[in-house]
Amino acid sequence: MKTFPTYRLALALVFVVLAAGAVRADQLVTDLSAHQIAIRSNFTGTEILLFGAVEARTPGARAINRDIVVVVQGPNAPAMVRRKDRVGGVWVNHDSVTYPDVPGYYAVASTRPLEVTAPPETLKALRIGIENVDIGVAEARAIDGTAQALMPEQENAFWKALIRNRQRDRLYSNVPGGVTFLGQTLFRATVDIPANVPVGLYTAKVYLFQDGEVVDTISSPLYIDKRGIERFIYRAAHSDPLLYGLLAVLGAAFAGWLASAAMRRT
Amino acid sequence: MQIYLPIAEMPVNVLTILAMGGAVGFLSGMFGVGGGFLMTPLLIFLGIPPAVAVGTQSTQVVASSVTGALAHFTRKSIDFKMGGILLIGGVVGSISGIYLFRVLTRIGQIDLVISLVYVLFLSVIGAMMMVESVRAIRAARGGVIPARRGGHHSWIHGLPFKMRFRRSKLYISVIPPILVGFFVGMLSAIMGVGGGFIMIPAMIYLLRMPTNVVIGTSFFQIVFVTALTGVMHAYTNFAVDIVLGFLLVIGGVIGAQYGVRAAEKLPSEQLRALLAAILLLIGLRLGFDLVTTPDDLYSVVDVAPHR
Repeated sequence: MKTFPTYRLALALVFVVLAAGAVRADQLVTDLSAHQIAIRSNFTGTEILLFGAVEARTPGARAINRDIVVVVQGPNAPAMVRRKDRVGGVWVNHDSVTYPDVPGYYAVASTRPLEVTAPPETLKALRIGIENVDIGVAEARAIDGTAQALMPEQENAFWKALIRNRQRDRLYSNVPGGVTFLGQTLFRATVDIPANVPVGLYTAKVYLFQDGEVVDTISSPLYIDKRGIERFIYRAAHSDPLLYGLLAVLGAAFAGWLASAAMRRT
Repeated sequence: MQIYLPIAEMPVNVLTILAMGGAVGFLSGMFGVGGGFLMTPLLIFLGIPPAVAVGTQSTQVVASSVTGALAHFTRKSIDFKMGGILLIGGVVGSISGIYLFRVLTRIGQIDLVISLVYVLFLSVIGAMMMVESVRAIRAARGGVIPARRGGHHSWIHGLPFKMRFRRSKLYISVIPPILVGFFVGMLSAIMGVGGGFIMIPAMIYLLRMPTNVVIGTSFFQIVFVTALTGVMHAYTNFAVDIVLGFLLVIGGVIGAQYGVRAAEKLPSEQLRALLAAILLLIGLRLGFDLVTTPDDLYSVVDVAPHR
């Protein structure tokens, strides 16, 4: 013990300081009310509850500018936006823009509006908010299918329309005040899952902001899938479409025969 | 009571669908029509994707036309030979229709074409039926018997490939029935209808078949053509929703029973005028939607993988 080298002592000291520095930042602990959502025949949409706590390492210091942002994002897929134009008095789908990587679901809930939570550059860098998501290179086409170049503001109108459409379908949402603190550390958020959600792997990401800077992030998976008879029918229709179609038609023919047999009896 | 449709991927109210099936079944029993041309627009108004509405509706038409064909089979009022010729045209028409449906879906014009075809047929047929039934009602009141169709020879008799149809007492070329079948098969694939409302007038006025075999023969053709259409919509577009189809069939079967009974108590001319008014109204509504500025000019579609 006497021969304890000074360099070791120095090293231990460094570790302690580093560890203290690491724990000084606040940390998140979160969980979801469900990690799986089953779409069954009675599915009419649901709500997931996300709850968590901020483990403050600086006890006593009142958290003033502390914000929580929750982002729940669904599987990406290509999406096409079409604009109607009047052709000979009739409204016809005319120009279209296809985006290769559009989230099928995107919900933001935050303690305060995003604008006051963090500066726009931070939000952009973190891809928080549907406007900041990277959706890939847009591909514009005219009515006859030929590629065409659009002015940025024209293309932006398509992108805005996509957001507007999906907001109408409740697939995209932004709820300032959707995260509420229960006391100093505990918080909860409810996120609305409408009936028309796409199936697949979702992620629920929680960001902890302190004075407009991200202090901690935590991400949990959420799986939404058809279950039971819904899953069975959907899979049969897609993996054995010929058999499925034949069964559907034979079933209908049988029903028709049954009806005529019943009619003859009465 | 809500139920989630696995293929349409949306929840619907079971009672709404049953009521719609029942109402359309009632009308179809009352007027002796398939009812597909009423059901497909209703399903689309409800928010069911057009492809699923058309594909699923064709299974419902299979059910109702099997019932109809069996009734006529027992009465021996089917011309199988003529039905077979119509069927040949129908099969080719249905396959072409499915192909056209896919192309139109890909270029984003399927909704427009479905609406346009509906507006065209509903208004033309509705107007024709209205004129005819009003004339019949007037004639009945005035005691004047409307002129019967004459037995004069038409251009159809100049066509080659003649064939004898004993049951219909006809000796005509196979080209007109094949074309009629083709046209109806195509409509079946695009509109999700049986096509009886086109085929029956065509058989009476164009082919000059005797009226007692017309309905049975058309049912015979419709059974097979819509069965093919249904299978192909399931195979190529994954667009047949069994749950929705089941609900429609149940509602339709029950509704049709009451429709048949109601028809026996009501005068047929007035009934036809009523059906004509319904057709015109639906046609008008669809046409109105085509020309009024939509709430949002932009629409979003998932780029789903198609076969």
